[in-house]
Amino acid sequence: MILTPRIVIRLVLLGVLTVLVQISFFGRLSLIGASPDVTPLVVMTIGLLGGTVSGAVAGFGIGLLLDCLLLQTMGASGLALLGVGYISGRYREGFGRPRKSAVALLGGGLTMFYVTAFGAIQIGLGVEADVSALVIRDAIVKSVLGGLLAVPVYLGIRLLLRPALIDDRPSARRPFAPRPLDERS
Amino acid sequence: MYRRQVRRRRAVLLLLVAVSLTLFSLFFREGSSGGPLHGVQSVVATIFSPFEEVTGRALKPARDMINWFDETFDARGENERLRGQVGELRDELAQRQTELAQRKELGKLDALTGGGVVPSGQEPVTARVIGRSPTVWYATVTIDKGSSAGLAVDDPIVTGDGLAGRVSAVTRGTSQVTLITDPDSSVAARVFPGGSTEIPADAPTGVVEAAVGDPKDLQLNFVQRGPDINEGDTVVTAGFSVGNLASLFPPGIPIGEITDSSLEEQQAYQRVHLRAYADLRDMEFVQALVDAGKGDGG
Repeated sequence: MILTPRIVIRLVLLGVLTVLVQISFFGRLSLIGASPDVTPLVVMTIGLLGGTVSGAVAGFGIGLLLDCLLLQTMGASGLALLGVGYISGRYREGFGRPRKSAVALLGGGLTMFYVTAFGAIQIGLGVEADVSALVIRDAIVKSVLGGLLAVPVYLGIRLLLRPALIDDRPSARRPFAPRPLDERS
Repeated sequence: MYRRQVRRRRAVLLLLVAVSLTLFSLFFREGSSGGPLHGVQSVVATIFSPFEEVTGRALKPARDMINWFDETFDARGENERLRGQVGELRDELAQRQTELAQRKELGKLDALTGGGVVPSGQEPVTARVIGRSPTVWYATVTIDKGSSAGLAVDDPIVTGDGLAGRVSAVTRGTSQVTLITDPDSSVAARVFPGGSTEIPADAPTGVVEAAVGDPKDLQLNFVQRGPDINEGDTVVTAGFSVGNLASLFPPGIPIGEITDSSLEEQQAYQRVHLRAYADLRDMEFVQALVDAGKGDGG
């Protein structure tokens, strides 16, 4: 991903919009008894498109804003989402551009990672909550929903950041290939 | 070049992790009393709150629509669960109401037979109605006590409200009761004015019989001194005894209340109409007045 000032502005706006939509829309939905969480999916997509640094920075920033707006412990979401961005970035750097099935699997897996990491941080900070069956069920349902939403989120953000993506750029000119000698004349 | 990139990447990552850890350590240390980080958080939240509100309002229709599906799905499950609960509670309520009604009925029976109605030499045996005549005339019922409990043919049968009939057939464990609404039934009775606690010596007398074609209506036939009878007057068993001939029913058992005492009918037919006190359609328990020593106390 080529980070021009315009692309950075788009990324910032994407982050802000993600947090607002997560708080105002997805957080207030109830699907199979749980609310879908798109923040790890957006961070994952930025990581998959831009690599580890982009993913980690996006995760930290989105997480920090989320903590501020939800009046949570500052840095907790940031740290968990930072991990999501870093892992997805490493995947991109190791395996290249992912297939849609891989995006769905990553979406589910990284949502589970985020929920678990965030829960672990909260417990570490002394929040007195039991890891009940309800919490585990919530994490599983969130992961399934994350897997389902991952592909549309990935495709949408890829479209938004297309000008910055090297892979998606149409080739400027055909590569040079000299014609064989017997065809000349 | 690549190494520099890797180093930079690691440095950024470490920096972010360090900032995160520092942030939530400081934030946690500030506690609920507040501090600079809480202040920053408050400012950011205040700045973004209008945007949150606008986003929330704009997306409310979509949110409501999606939630509607989930709530409908949940409501269906809840509906089935509540239906089950309602069924269970209905069964429980019916059982409680039945028990209550039975207790009331037994209480009334005890009050009636304990109030001096049962003559000396007789004792009440409580029985449960286990069968009813399927016809609309309700002429006979079957009870769950028979000769083994001391019941015999012609024993009077009462409910908590009043006279019900007499035993017309007996087996060892059951008895058939012919109700006072049966066309073959007739009971010597007398009338005393409503509100009076004593039966006057010259009280009008007659014979209570079933009115043909109307199972709810009873007639007091062969009435003497008819003009003294008014609507609302109480009819009780007369319980006469002349030589060896005696009434099957002891005196003073309430039968019913006068409902129609027109002078014309009294003069022409010596007849007035009454309604039985006993709810003959819906009896659950009755008492048979059996000879003392024969009954098991029921």
